[in-house]
Formats: sequence, C-alpha cells, structure tokens
Amino acid sequence: MRRREFLASSVAFVSLAGGVPELFARAAEESARADRNDHALVVLELAGGNDGLNTVIPYENPLYYRNRRTLGIPKKNVVRLNDQIGLHPRMAALGELFKEGRVAIVQGVGYPQPDRSHFRSMEIWHSASTEPAPPSTGWLGRFLDASAPDGEAFPRGLSLTGSIPQALQAAKVVVPVEAQLTSFSETSGNPASALRRKLSAASGAGTETGPAGFLSRQADTLYRTADKLGQSTQSYKSSVEYPGDELAQKLRRASQILKAGLGVRVLFVSQDGYDTHAGQADAHGGLLETLANALSAFQRDLVEQKLADRVTVLVFSEFGRRVDENASGGTDHGAASCMFLVGAKVKGGLIGEYPSLEKLGEGDLIYHTDFRSVYASVLERWLGCPSKPTLGKPFPRLDLFQG
Amino acid sequence: MVLAALAPYVPGPTDPFDPHKAAHLLRRAGFGAPAADVGKAVTEGLEATVEGLFDEAEDEEERFQTTFDAVNQDLVNFADPSQLRGWWVYRMLRTRAPLREKLTLFWHGHFATSAAKVEELELMHQQIATLRKHAWGNIRDLTQAIARDPAMLVWLDGESSTKEHPNENFARELMELFTCGIGHYTETDVQEAARAFTGWHRDGAKFNFVADAHDSGRKQFLGRAGKFNGGDIIDILMQQPATLTFLARKLLRFFAAPEPSAAVVAEAAELLERTRLDVKWFLRELFQSRWFYSDDCRRTRISSPVEYVVGTLRTLGVRWPANEAGNQIEAMGQTLLAPPNVKGWDGERAWINSSRWASRLEFAKIIAELNDNSAFGATLHLDRIVPAETREPAKAIDAIVSVLLQGELPDATRRELTEFLVTTDDGSRNLESFRDDDDFRQNRLRGAIELVLGLPEYHAC
Repeated sequence: MRRREFLASSVAFVSLAGGVPELFARAAEESARADRNDHALVVLELAGGNDGLNTVIPYENPLYYRNRRTLGIPKKNVVRLNDQIGLHPRMAALGELFKEGRVAIVQGVGYPQPDRSHFRSMEIWHSASTEPAPPSTGWLGRFLDASAPDGEAFPRGLSLTGSIPQALQAAKVVVPVEAQLTSFSETSGNPASALRRKLSAASGAGTETGPAGFLSRQADTLYRTADKLGQSTQSYKSSVEYPGDELAQKLRRASQILKAGLGVRVLFVSQDGYDTHAGQADAHGGLLETLANALSAFQRDLVEQKLADRVTVLVFSEFGRRVDENASGGTDHGAASCMFLVGAKVKGGLIGEYPSLEKLGEGDLIYHTDFRSVYASVLERWLGCPSKPTLGKPFPRLDLFQG
Repeated sequence: MVLAALAPYVPGPTDPFDPHKAAHLLRRAGFGAPAADVGKAVTEGLEATVEGLFDEAEDEEERFQTTFDAVNQDLVNFADPSQLRGWWVYRMLRTRAPLREKLTLFWHGHFATSAAKVEELELMHQQIATLRKHAWGNIRDLTQAIARDPAMLVWLDGESSTKEHPNENFARELMELFTCGIGHYTETDVQEAARAFTGWHRDGAKFNFVADAHDSGRKQFLGRAGKFNGGDIIDILMQQPATLTFLARKLLRFFAAPEPSAAVVAEAAELLERTRLDVKWFLRELFQSRWFYSDDCRRTRISSPVEYVVGTLRTLGVRWPANEAGNQIEAMGQTLLAPPNVKGWDGERAWINSSRWASRLEFAKIIAELNDNSAFGATLHLDRIVPAETREPAKAIDAIVSVLLQGELPDATRRELTEFLVTTDDGSRNLESFRDDDDFRQNRLRGAIELVLGLPEYHAC
C-alpha cells in the first residue's frame, strides 16, 4: 500500500482492529524511507573491462611489478591513497576527491565462477543475476518498478547512452533514452513539431476508449516530458567548466536534469574503450584521466547546484583484467576488480582488502565481495528500497554511506 | 435467437467490400495495405481476396532459400541474433504470401521461444521454419511438431527431462500457455504429463527419443489413464473444450479484436472445433464474417512494432535494409527471436509508452526523408504517392491520406495538413512556393508523410 492510499483509507481501516498495527508499522517504515526519496544515483559503466590493477595500484607489492613488467606504474608516480595503495597517476583529480572523503573504493569485487565474456559478464552485472537464464529486467529497472508511485508522471530513470542498458530494463515503468526524448521538445526547432502536437491532441479528442485516444495521451506524455527535459538545459547555470569530452558532457547533462527537480532517481552513463588488449599504457591512462576529471567536475558542480547531498555516483566495469600482462603491451580479460562510489554522503576510504596477487584463480584476482553486496547497500542505504526483492536474495551490506 | 457474429458477410450494393474493408483485411492478414493491393482486392471481391491470401507461388520457399544460401556467408551470421532477425524481417518485407509470415509471427508469440536461452541460433532458425511450414495447417500437428522441436527442447528443458528426474517446465507451459490455459488442469496433471515427455531429447538439431530415459508407465491425465507418451498428452489436450476456447481467443485477439466478447469467443471456439483445428479453414471463415468488418474489429488494435515497420515499408514500397528494420522494431519494444518470456508479447497497450512512441516517430522521420541519396539505394518514391503533376495542396494531402489511411481522416486534420504544405519556415503562407519550388514542395510533402505516419490513427491497426 502506498502512502497516499494509506492516508486516504486509514479512516476506514481504524475499525478493523487486527489490521491497524501492521498498517502503522508499514507507514512508519515508509516514512523512514521517504527521506531518501530524493536521493539520486548516477551509474557509470566502464565498458570493456577496466584494468583495476592499474587503476588502484598496490605499489608496495613486488608481485605487481613482476606481473606488470612493462605496464607497471612506478611507485614514485602513483597518486598515494595510503602507504600501500595508490591511484593511476592520471587520476589526480579523483585523488583529491578521495582526500576530501568523497570516494569509497570497494576492492576485490566480483561474483562466483567469473565469466570472461563481455556480453555475459555485462549481463550478470546488469541483471544482478548469475543464473544461466537471467531475467530480462535489470537491477535498476526492478528498483524503479518496485518504487513506482501511482500515476507516475515523469520517468524516474533515464539513460544518457544511446540505448536502454539492461540494468534499466523494467517490467512496468518507462525508462527512456534521454537524448531521444529531448529531440521532441518544443525547442528542438523541427518545423512540424507544433503541428504534430496539435494533430495528435485532435486525434485523442472524443475517443477516450479507442486506441487513438490512448496513443494520443501517450504522445502527450512524451511531449510534456520532452519539454521539461528541454527546459532543464535552458534554466541551468553553472560556473564549473566541464571538459569537452563526451563523458564529462554527459555528467553535465545529468547535473542539469537533477537540478530541474523532475524526480529522476537513476541516470545511466557509459564510458567505452576499456578493452585494452594491446598498447594499454597510453589508452588506459587517457581513459582514467577523462574519468577522473569528469567525476571531479561533476562533484564541484553538484556542490554549486546544492545537489551534493542528494547524488551518488557508482562506477563499475564488467570485469578486471588478467594479472600478468600479455605480449602486446596489454592485458586480457580477467575477473575481480574494484568499484567506486563518489559523492558527498559517501563514507570515503578503501573498503575491504586488496585481493591477493599470490593466490589467483586462473591467473585472475579472486573476489571476496559480491558486487550485489554493493548494489544491496546502495539500494537499502541510499535509495531507500528493500534490496532482497530487487536482487532476488539477500546480500550482506557494506558500510558505504554516512549517517 | 441471437444473431451469430461469425455469420458470413455478404457484400452488396448497400454494404460493399470497399477500400476501407479491403485495407482492413490486408492489414490484419498481412503487413500494411499497399494501394495497388487494396484496388485489386476491391475489384476481385471479398471471396476471391480471402482465397488469394492462401495462394502461394510454388517457388516461394525455393527462392527464399536461394537468397538465404547466397547471403548466409556474410549477412545471416549465426553468431549474431540481429542478423537472423534481419533475415526474418526480409522475408516479411518481400514475401508474396504475407499471411504465412503473419501467422509465423503469431505462432512465434504463442510458442514464445527466445534466443536468450537457445544460444544455438540454427535451432531458432529451424523453429521459425517449422512455425512457417505449419502456419495455416492443423494446430494439433503444429503442437506435435513444436513439442519435438530442438529449440523448444532447450527452451523449456525437455532435453534434460528423464524418467528419474522429470522436468515439469514444458508440461506446465504446454497446458498453461499453449493449449487449455490455467485453471483447467491440476498439479498432478502437470507431473503426469511431465512423465510422458521424459526421454524426448535432441541430438544436435534433431529430435531424439531416448527410450531409456522415457517413463513408459501408466499415467493419470485429465481424468484418463493409460501408458501415455507425449504425443498422447497433446492429443488429449487438443480435445479439451478449454483448449478450443483458449486458442480461439488468442487467434481473435491477434487477427480481429483486442478484447473479443465471451459470446464471440464461444462462437469462434465452435468454429475451431468444426474446422478440426485447421487454421486455414478457421481464418477463411473469420475473414468472411460480418463481425470481422464491424466496429468491434476495425481500427481497434494497436499495431505491433513489426506491423508498423513492415506495414509502412510495404505500403510505401520502400526497400529498406531488413537488418535496419529489425533494429527499429527492437527499439520499439519487439525483439524478434527474443520475446520477453514464454508468454510472448503482451501486445496492444503494452506496445506503447512515451519512449517507444518516440521510437515510432523517429522511424516515421527516417522513412519520410529517404531520397535518392540515401544509403543502400533505399528511397521513398514521392511521385508514386503524390503524382508530380499534383500541385493543388488539398489534392496532395488527399493522395497521401489515401495511400496511408485509405482516406480515413477527419476533415479538420486534412485542412491542417494542407495548410502545412503552403506554410514556409517563417510561418508565412506561400502557395506559389508549393506549386513552383520543387525543393520546397518535396520538403513539405515529406513532412506531411512524416506527420501522417506519426498520427495516432495510423497506429490503430
């Protein structure tokens, strides 16, 4: 039962003695969750399999340098996080955020029987299921389904990539591709746009029950949503200068959308190029620099927009890479890796042990934390949603957020 | 006595088989309604048109096979489901017997099997071929064939079902979704049926009966007892009244009306019994029934993404890459060879949400803008829709509305569209530009086609 329904029906229920306590308990639980209802999550996917070992570097471990003969980052160059572990030198901007306590790095994340296929492993991460036939919905889509208010007016999940990632696939609610919707806004400059709306509205007039009436109303929702998204670009102001690259610009767009207060809870962003089988040194460094700078600009902007306390970024990749570098100056598909959470309300620090470089599983790091523990913590502690129904089973939760 | 809904419709001077009815029939029995086909149907009349739906050139299959073999090397790649999807869309776009493909699609939604689990795409290809072969044949034969279909054996775990460990997956879905529907069997029936299908395995892409894994003992099933095997189970199910009702309703929902009344469903179930589950007989009667042309049916369905995309391309005579069409269909929420689950697509209103509507509008734009410079030589021949000599804006709109909607559009909307043709970008009215400036005229006509394709009316199939 939803809050509004509860309030509306509580008078009628008072006379049903047995039902009352349970109802009140549920209402109390809901109100505790209600204060998390304005929390938003930005999920950032590093597509291709990020080399966690060269992202979060165990610079005092000789095994690291023994395996990474050419790719190893010299100790003197790492951005130190403590006396053992540091970030890739091109992630200085993220190092700053770490110092400010705004970055949690969860180490040794993975899942049982790691799959080294991009497609399959992404499917596992997106669906949050290791079953051979995982559901077609994603963990974020199921969260949106489970928390859908009645008569949802505006989509609460948006993809800032070119398509809807499986993580956002929902059974009930609408999760659109943001750019596609915005292209239908009033301000898109299409000469036929105004007429399309007028004709579409006319089609629906007087046909409440037929398909044309239904389609006309759906179209109207699209246009109103598009307009709000279009306006969010215009009303937004910021002194933060984001880098010009695609990722940074996507995060800037995320800031605009969140600032517009449309009720968006989940945004999905992706950065491609992490499948570094050859010539990794330069390519990977460039990607990490882009990532760190984009995250840094986004954080500064969120502070300026007074959104910092409401937004967390979760960064993941489908797998890490082989510990031993290959002969092409690159690394092959691996298993366990690290995840980042970035935000003002994140409990910063290194979470969990660095996975052993001695005891490996088929040449790969062995996970000790199931990625769904991170999901469960984010769902429960940040998004205020029970994690078990969304993830299918309970997972131990981690201490990732303040308060 | 209540007048039977499925009583025959006999066209006459007061109630002729006109272009509206002909287009309705063509849209439901195929994909879209090209003006030439509508004209031909009206000329030939209802009976001949319905017979014609089942006419098939003898070389149809052979010609597709030749093309398939030719492109199999590069285009139809069994490692990538989108290629195989594209191949099916290609057949839908090019077939001379659209009803067979339409039925294949219907059966794909009925025996909904997904490449998400059946990773060997050859098996999916083979299953679609089986659906196609039996498309308008006998439902009993089709169900027997599908129960032995390797993709189905993988999909619903039949391949691992043994005497010692019967797997109930197929037995349950067979009853719940393929035949009698929920509420017409017990859990014991599921278990007993599962025993009957044990040992129905596969050897690669072939059905393989493994006698050692088969439970040949006595079973109690739906009030009968005997040493039933899977085939017997299907035969028993096919005799259940609930199966007739279940299948009749499903056929009506797909071909006739989204919510057929119980009375019509009952009549259709009777028809299905009378025709001994023969789809061709059944559809022949349905397509010539009074009810099929009534307001209960006409423009009451929401076109599926396949119907919208393939129908539009066929109606406009656009030869667009089938792979691309398959991708568009997927963006609109219908991934061929990967229905959301064993229940198939919910269809109707579930096809649409604001995002999917945006995908439909985008497709309208892409198609309306196709010209001689477009990739793959896919072009929209504007002159075939609005003749070059038509310079009167209202006549031009009539031509577009005639091709796409057989003229079914309110006058007020036509007037708005006519106005659009003569309005320049700065908002002023300029009739001369439309008459004399070919670039402007083309631009506006394409805009009007895009607008009509984006009208809610156009998506009410």
